[in-house]
Amino acid sequence: MRGDLVFGMAGSGGDGIVSAGESLIAAAAAEGYHAVMTKSFGSQIRGGESSCRVRVSTKEVLNPGGALDVAVALNWDDFLKFGAELPVSGATVVLYDAKTGVPPDKLPLVGVTPKEALAVPFADLAREHAGTERAKSSVILGLIAAYFEVAREALLQGMRRKLAKKGEAVVESAERAFAAGEGWAAAHPLREPMPLAQPAAPVPAKLLTDGNEICAAAAIFAGCRFFGGYPITPSTEIMQFLSREIWKYGGAVLQAEDEIAGIGAAVGASFAGTKAMTATSGPGMSLKSEIMGLATIAELPLVVVNVQRGGPSTGMPTKPEQADLFQAAFSAHGDAVRPVLAPTSVADTFWTTVQAFNIAERYQTPVVLLSDQEIAQRKETIEPIDTSTLAVEERRRPGESEVQDYVRFRTTASGVSPLSEPGMPGGNYLASGIEHNERGAPTASGAVHARMNEKRIGKLEPLKRRRDLFRVFGSDGAPLGLVSWGSSAGVCREALTIAQGMGLRAKLLVPYLVYPVAEEMYREFFASVRAGLVVEQSHQGQLYRVLRMFLDLPKGVRSFAKSGANPFLPAEVAEHLHTAALALQREAEDAREPQE
Amino acid sequence: MSTTATQPTRAMEPKEFKSDLKPIWCPGCGDFGVLQALYRALASVGRPPHEIAFVSGIGCSSRIPGYTTAYGFNSVHGRALPIAQGIKIANPDLLVVVAGGDGDGFSIGGGHLPHAVRRNVDLTYLVMDNQIYGLTKGQLSPTSPRGLHTITSGYGSMEDPVNPLLYVLAYGAGFVAQGTPAEMPGLTAVIEEALRFPGFAFVNVQSPCVTFGEEEQQLRAHKTHMKSLAALGHDPADRLRAMALASDYGRELYTGVFYRNPEPGPTYDALVRRRQADLSPGAVPRERVLDRFRQDGGR
Repeated sequence: MRGDLVFGMAGSGGDGIVSAGESLIAAAAAEGYHAVMTKSFGSQIRGGESSCRVRVSTKEVLNPGGALDVAVALNWDDFLKFGAELPVSGATVVLYDAKTGVPPDKLPLVGVTPKEALAVPFADLAREHAGTERAKSSVILGLIAAYFEVAREALLQGMRRKLAKKGEAVVESAERAFAAGEGWAAAHPLREPMPLAQPAAPVPAKLLTDGNEICAAAAIFAGCRFFGGYPITPSTEIMQFLSREIWKYGGAVLQAEDEIAGIGAAVGASFAGTKAMTATSGPGMSLKSEIMGLATIAELPLVVVNVQRGGPSTGMPTKPEQADLFQAAFSAHGDAVRPVLAPTSVADTFWTTVQAFNIAERYQTPVVLLSDQEIAQRKETIEPIDTSTLAVEERRRPGESEVQDYVRFRTTASGVSPLSEPGMPGGNYLASGIEHNERGAPTASGAVHARMNEKRIGKLEPLKRRRDLFRVFGSDGAPLGLVSWGSSAGVCREALTIAQGMGLRAKLLVPYLVYPVAEEMYREFFASVRAGLVVEQSHQGQLYRVLRMFLDLPKGVRSFAKSGANPFLPAEVAEHLHTAALALQREAEDAREPQE
Repeated sequence: MSTTATQPTRAMEPKEFKSDLKPIWCPGCGDFGVLQALYRALASVGRPPHEIAFVSGIGCSSRIPGYTTAYGFNSVHGRALPIAQGIKIANPDLLVVVAGGDGDGFSIGGGHLPHAVRRNVDLTYLVMDNQIYGLTKGQLSPTSPRGLHTITSGYGSMEDPVNPLLYVLAYGAGFVAQGTPAEMPGLTAVIEEALRFPGFAFVNVQSPCVTFGEEEQQLRAHKTHMKSLAALGHDPADRLRAMALASDYGRELYTGVFYRNPEPGPTYDALVRRRQADLSPGAVPRERVLDRFRQDGGR
């Protein structure tokens, strides 16, 4: 019995590969499995190659997994285009279309012989039993259900539900194709059966969502009632979700004429007293940075989501990367500090988004939420969210006595001043991008400017002491340390388990607050660390470099970074950590050698 | 979203809209006249200052919100219109006024204008058009005439100016007017009408720059060659005729209402309210938003 299976499939657009993956994950969710699905496409709008990975497990899954257990290739050209995303190993079962004419011992895979390879007549079975090659995806599902004993009933139910509106004839032919897949599998058993274990019972009904939709839902939960934005891959699903749902809660969505107008309208709505958000990706962030500065100096709450993709410029719009941290932290002109939060999974995107709103409202500041394509567009089963303990904060509005003689930017101990809004008698003030005194009057005084910088930056200090914005895994006094953020953190959690299994004493720090740098949190973590890695998906290793701006890292802590779209494998991270441990031992031995 | 009274409760005085800040404008600047006309128009409309949001971008004229007692937002260059739309959509009960110069509105912010117009958010947009960049000390503006010599066009401008009146009419604005501080009652009247118009209303004010402007653009010159559209017998319901008259921008100085849609359509903010009312039958508990993701079909 296997507790965990990773499926990877590739084909041409129209083969129904992604649709098969979606059916598989929905069925797995319905049966109570944990599951993650990622999709990957060529950049063609329609047609071209497409692929998906679905990981199904009886335990919590933290990432889409490493090498495939099961590879489905409808043709080899398309499959090989996703090389790094669909890695085949010696433990993989490969199911490929017999139509490709490739013998099982001559697969075009370089340097690897899979455990078993089966040439399946996908197209022939579909045509023969369903009358159309379009039913190939149903054949695949039948085959998967039979070979791996995954969610057979739920797959059939899901298929019926999905096709119901196309009529009974379509449903029946899909069922015949499914049965044909099952039949073929029964006639050609695997040399070594690989059934997936049943999920632990009883299972609570899971939610099936992706990072973008859960971010949008969290925004509504947090009280966001205005969204202004402009479509951009891979963030658009946030606007799409809100444009369906936000009205039901009394809010509004404006699809603006450009990125600047999107954030401009959001700042306007916030000025008017409404919680507001905009969402974009790297290129849009560049356009929005001027108005983010306006929100900083006018001290207006605002959440700006950046779903990172490969950059610079248009870069790789459909691929993940964590290379916008510098931009998020440092793209402002002037002395502007704005909090940057990063979720690490689909599930924690909900909590992290709510925190982004709470911080924006409490500190009257723009907050950047740095998601990435990997989290945003991967479908995942998550446990039902208990929202009863999740606080939603409101901005501090002036009371009756405070509007008697209202001073908008009044100096306070916390640096946060009560914020009025149009419609509130006595709260009238001038919000401005120009430097202003406590009453909001424009000024060119260096002394006032210095005081206001101190107010705007100083008010964020308490954030750095919020322990709930940091998570530590592993043993406290461990000499080996991993630091990772965003989608890479899930890989590192699994890598930590592997490393501990190898006997390494290691721990992992995951910051949800990636900027400003909470020096004390890191000092505490690194106190016992002699060697380690900062793991992230960018060429430069941006978090590593930001940390070094603010901290002296232990000598043995290095950057482990890769450019976008080159996934980290948990075993690979563990191996690097192992190497670091060995270097540490060598060093200790060298130190014991008598000095010449 | 807060609710505010929408009807005037008492007669108001222009001075109630005047703030303590002293304008930074040069003595004799046309913008002083615009500010006075605006005080008078706001007093006539009668909404108390706390129910008014007054948004601007950057430029000499964009300082104007600070000289009123309304809620002001002196934002960044060219972005007043998007910000104002966000305010009005978030709280449709507010009276939202936008002001700025020709550079702010037709150059750096020019991309927002067609969309603000076609969206028809209920705003009043007041442009103080002086055909020059005054705050940065005298460079070419998008409405500068061809051939103009400035410090960035020492050999004369090689471009035709934009025609703001014709643009805004072509984009489909429901109210388009022009005024000059050389004729205060007329200027006050068109601003007041714009404030009352239900929908996007545009007033182009020929507001001379005394420091960098040309001789023929000063108030003295306006007085001699301005022509009242009403006196010419123009029917403001005639959009095509309005466009023909607007084509003379830069050659003729017409004052008054070019176009007023006799049957204005619904405003964007009204449609937003209607959609919210249609789709939110009552207060939906916030956690219900997660029902979308349940596989048992929870809605």
